[in-house]
Parts: sequence; C-alpha cells; structure tokens
Amino acid sequence: MSYYSSMGKRAAHTGRFRQHSIRQAIQLKYIYLIFSLSLSFAVFAGDIQQHRDPATGLISWKVQHPGLSLQLIQLLPDYVTAVYSARGLPPLLVKTMASQCIFGTIIKNESGEQLSYRVADWRYVTEDGKAHPIKTKTEWVKEWQDQGVSFRWSILPDEQTFEPGDWSQGFTTVPLPPDSSLNLIYTWRYQGENHKGTLEGLRCAPAQAPES
Amino acid sequence: MPDLSHELTRLTTPIEAPDFQLKDMDGEQYSLESYRGKVVILNFWATWCPPCRREIPSMEALHQAFKDEAFAILAINEWETEDHVFAFMGQLPVDPSFPILFDPDSEVAQSFDVKGLPTTVLLDTQGRIVYRAVGGRDFDHPEVKRIIRDLLADSGTPSR
Repeated sequence: MSYYSSMGKRAAHTGRFRQHSIRQAIQLKYIYLIFSLSLSFAVFAGDIQQHRDPATGLISWKVQHPGLSLQLIQLLPDYVTAVYSARGLPPLLVKTMASQCIFGTIIKNESGEQLSYRVADWRYVTEDGKAHPIKTKTEWVKEWQDQGVSFRWSILPDEQTFEPGDWSQGFTTVPLPPDSSLNLIYTWRYQGENHKGTLEGLRCAPAQAPES
Repeated sequence: MPDLSHELTRLTTPIEAPDFQLKDMDGEQYSLESYRGKVVILNFWATWCPPCRREIPSMEALHQAFKDEAFAILAINEWETEDHVFAFMGQLPVDPSFPILFDPDSEVAQSFDVKGLPTTVLLDTQGRIVYRAVGGRDFDHPEVKRIIRDLLADSGTPSR
C-alpha cells in the first residue's frame, strides 16, 4: 500500500476514528479515575517507596502509614558475615546468620502519640502463598545462649512501645535463599487500634553484590 | 536513615537507676553512685549501630556546653572490646571527651531494660531515670539543653 492510498483510507475512517477516540477518552478517564482512587487507597493502606542504592545496587523499601514508617534494606551475606565476625562471634554462628535472608529494618514512631509493635505477630509470605512467623530476637538470643554466646544485639527488638520520636533499627531475618521473593505482613498498635500492613514484592539480597 | 529528632520522653514516675560499676578504655572503674548530685546522660551504644555513630558528635557538643555544670555523659558500649572501640574512635569526626564505658556482657543494659541500640536515659541529681529516648537523637538541641537546665535548677544547682 502506497503512502497516499493509506492517507485516503485514513481520511475515510476519520469519523469512526473520532467516535472511537471519544469512547477511548471516556474509558481512559474512568481508568484514570479508578487508578486515582486506588492510589488514594494505597496511601491509606501505606505509601510504599522503593529505592535502589546507585552505589551498592541494593534495594530498600519504605512504607509510610499515619504515625508509622517502616523501612527494609537488603543486606548482602558478606555484610552480615562482617558484622558478626567483627564481634568475635563463633564461625558457626556467623555462618548461620549469613545463610539467612536479612533485611536491615528501621521502624519509627512518627506520631505524637504512643505506638507499639510485636514482631511475633508479623509474618512473611513465600511465593507459594504460605505465611510463616518471623524468628524473633528472643528466639535468636536463646539459640546463641545455647551455643554459649551472650551476644544479644543486632536483631530488631521483639516488641517495643514507642513514645513520640522513638525508633529502632535492627535485622529482620527470614530463612530463605538469596534472591527469594516474599511479602511481609507487619502489624502495629496505634490510637488504641491494631493495624496491619503488607510490603509486597520484597526480594532477598543476592548472594553477591549486584552490578551498580 | 531517619533524621535525628530531639524528643525525650519524660517518665510519668521517675525510676531509681540501678547502680553499676564499669571500666573505661584505660581500665579505670566508674560507679554510677559516684555521680549522685549530677544530671547524667547514660547512652547505650555500639560501633556497628549507625544511629549510635551519628549521635556521638551531638553528645560531645552537649558535653562541651555543660562542661562546667553538674552534668555528665557516660557512653556505655555493648559487647565490644576496647581495641575495637579504640580503632572506631579514630574514625569519628569528633573525639569524645566523655567517658566510654564497657558493658561486655550487656548486664547493665539489661538492668536498664534496654531493648535496642541506641537507647538513652537521663538521670536527675537524685539518680532517678526521668527521661528516656529509644533510637538516635540530636542532643545538641535547645530543647534538650532546656531539659538539662531545668533538672539542674530543680536540684538547686545553678546553671549558666
């Protein structure tokens, strides 16, 4: 088909195109409206930001709710090994920790009121849809004590009641291999009510540092 | 990493701080009891904890601001060796002039119900915990200084 005959066909179909365009515009308007509403709901459910560190290539996720912010940061097995080795912890313990999928976790009370959380109520959901409890700091510390180690730091505290301005940082561990996908269901209590949020599409750090 | 806030939480009922004896980097023994009559900040920290590292310069600024007052800061390191902390201190933008004490088995931290690092408690001149902060803080803030001045004034210790 030549360029011109093509133009003629286009001209012949202009009316239909116009009608189609109007229908499409209306449909797009509705899609935009639905999308806007879903965005409003997402903000209500938790505004999630994903960030890739240009220097390390590692990913972090931050979710913001009224009164609460939660951030999860991929940690490389090498970094985990370095953290525990530098504390002089036994090689077996270091190896166990480095075999976990660990996220650096920052949880912060951004409200002007009391806010609390309990890791025992949190769950990670694997790709098969099954929900699993998160191993708590108390469970880790007990395991370390059974190995004769009195170290009790690094893991995100089990439960805390935060006053305004309070926040915590620590490791969240899941027994999954590098690059695994998972969702995290987290809960908190604020203004006398229990709240639940889900961080979807989390990914464990790769075995090696990604290309940045 | 969140910005460091300056909010300290006032306890509705002050709690008697448990006494302790800890050593500093030179092996000198410190007793909390010997600080009775001073307003004291106890800061529980570790070198691997990023917010702990971030708040040290502001603690040093606060220490300098009240160096002539009945005020002290004791930074209590958790589970690390003197050598490790000494090497770390060389990397800081400031050289802390307040004592760094060592809590090698974290018993003191446990006695203060410290769940995570950093945690800071502020003691009045009677040795009672009157304020608490979980997570890193900017201690070189006018509001923190006002709290300390008020505690010094409450005890009858004049503050400039």
